[in-house]
Amino acid sequence: MAKIIHYRNKCIGCNSCVEQAPSRWSISDEDGKSDLKGSIQKKEVYIAEISVDEIEENKRAAKDCPVSIIKVID
Amino acid sequence: MTINNNAADKTASRTRDKIEIMAPAGSFESLRAAINAGCNSVYFGIEQLNMRARAANNFSTEDLKEIVKICKEAKIKTYLTLNTIMYDHDMNLMKKICDVAKEHGVTAVICSDVAAMSYARSINLEVHISTQANVSNFETLKFYASFADVVVLARELTIKQVEYISEKIKEENITGPSGQLVEIELFVHGALCVAVSGKCYMSLATYNSSANRGACLQNCRRSYKVIDEETGDELRIDNKYIMSPKDLCTIGFIDKIIDAGVSVLKIEGRGRSPDYVDTVVSCYNQAIVAYLDGTYTKEKIDAWIKRLETVFNRGFWHGGYYLGKELGDWSAAYGSKATKEKIYLGRAQNYFNKVQVAEFHLEANTLSVGDDILITGPTTGALNSKVTEILVNDQKSDTAKKGDVVTIPLPEKVRANDKLYKIVDAQRTDGQHNTNSEKSKTQVTEEKNE
Repeated sequence: MAKIIHYRNKCIGCNSCVEQAPSRWSISDEDGKSDLKGSIQKKEVYIAEISVDEIEENKRAAKDCPVSIIKVID
Repeated sequence: MTINNNAADKTASRTRDKIEIMAPAGSFESLRAAINAGCNSVYFGIEQLNMRARAANNFSTEDLKEIVKICKEAKIKTYLTLNTIMYDHDMNLMKKICDVAKEHGVTAVICSDVAAMSYARSINLEVHISTQANVSNFETLKFYASFADVVVLARELTIKQVEYISEKIKEENITGPSGQLVEIELFVHGALCVAVSGKCYMSLATYNSSANRGACLQNCRRSYKVIDEETGDELRIDNKYIMSPKDLCTIGFIDKIIDAGVSVLKIEGRGRSPDYVDTVVSCYNQAIVAYLDGTYTKEKIDAWIKRLETVFNRGFWHGGYYLGKELGDWSAAYGSKATKEKIYLGRAQNYFNKVQVAEFHLEANTLSVGDDILITGPTTGALNSKVTEILVNDQKSDTAKKGDVVTIPLPEKVRANDKLYKIVDAQRTDGQHNTNSEKSKTQVTEEKNE
């Protein structure tokens, strides 16, 4: 199954991932960084398993991320 | 020769304590170096709403308390940068940052977005206007005076324009929320942008990485070719760095800047090392003192410039826009043209106060008697010295190598884990660098505004 890895600490809250894949990403009211919806936290990394039809838009989110903290593994 | 003695009447009412040197603090090492070198205030960022959001060493909210504590003890002011473009989703974080700044006694926040100014004022937090607001005329300054006590003017103004705004403030008695006349701040040293005071979308347009969100990838700093698409012919241009200006250096006319009514002199470089901060703050501090006591001479200026050239620079544009536009003054190189470079040697293990001797573990390279050395640390700041004697295993030696534990006489205290470097003449290979965009995207460490 495909998954997304999110190195959240370095997020600068630019909102690009939310624009590309709003069903997976949202901006936290707490600290203005992006949250990966449906993810589990392992130390400082967030991981979510995604379906095949989510891969393309999340790859766009990864490509657009200015600080390169989103990885999509398919 | 003493320069501008006839301006004595202008300096008569000026004393060193009326002029503020504002230094960049991107790390605790740089903060300490700035204090030791004689700054009067520091600016720094926390979390992501500042123009160094990408920097690996950004401070956290916890660090803020420590920074304010250190600065209060040193009797210097603290400014928190909160000057990115802001979106609706940033409002909560922006308010939290202002609340934290207020709670811990930060002197002021530096803002460019009206939302941040407005909120900061609503909790009675002092506001300064950022260079990102591009204040270029008196009417704009007058508008911002309802929010701010200090306004930084755009780097693209001439000295005459700065002087005009300064005179108008006095003439029309423009006061900030504190009731005092609005003070003028000016960048005096450091990076310049190809765009107007940083309002650039090149990095966003090419890499979706916004300079105005603190994530500039500095592709303007690279070399470029001009190719005729029809023929494929490449135009020969002397300097391929067609978008990378040299760094601003005003130490040769700091008298004119002070006379123009500027009271806050800002040094760019939150991404710079502690030795950079130490050198730049120290030179400008000496220059201001020299001007005020009538000993600001050509010889001294030349010596300061030579010293400034030893640390990071892209070559200097002596005058910048302030003395009129000299087009084509581009950097002609990627990265630094510093005449000196530092080589990492190892870390401090101990300092023996009574005998003033420091012990270091050499992890790389060699150390010899006569070497110029630099020691940096969060409490030490940046300390320069010369090796007069080396002991390896209690035996005198002219040189020491990787793996050795050495003791050397050092008149000032250093702390465990402080880093030891030797300072050598720079070996340059200008002109070539990796232009692979993906690699560069993660490699960039150089900075721009605030």
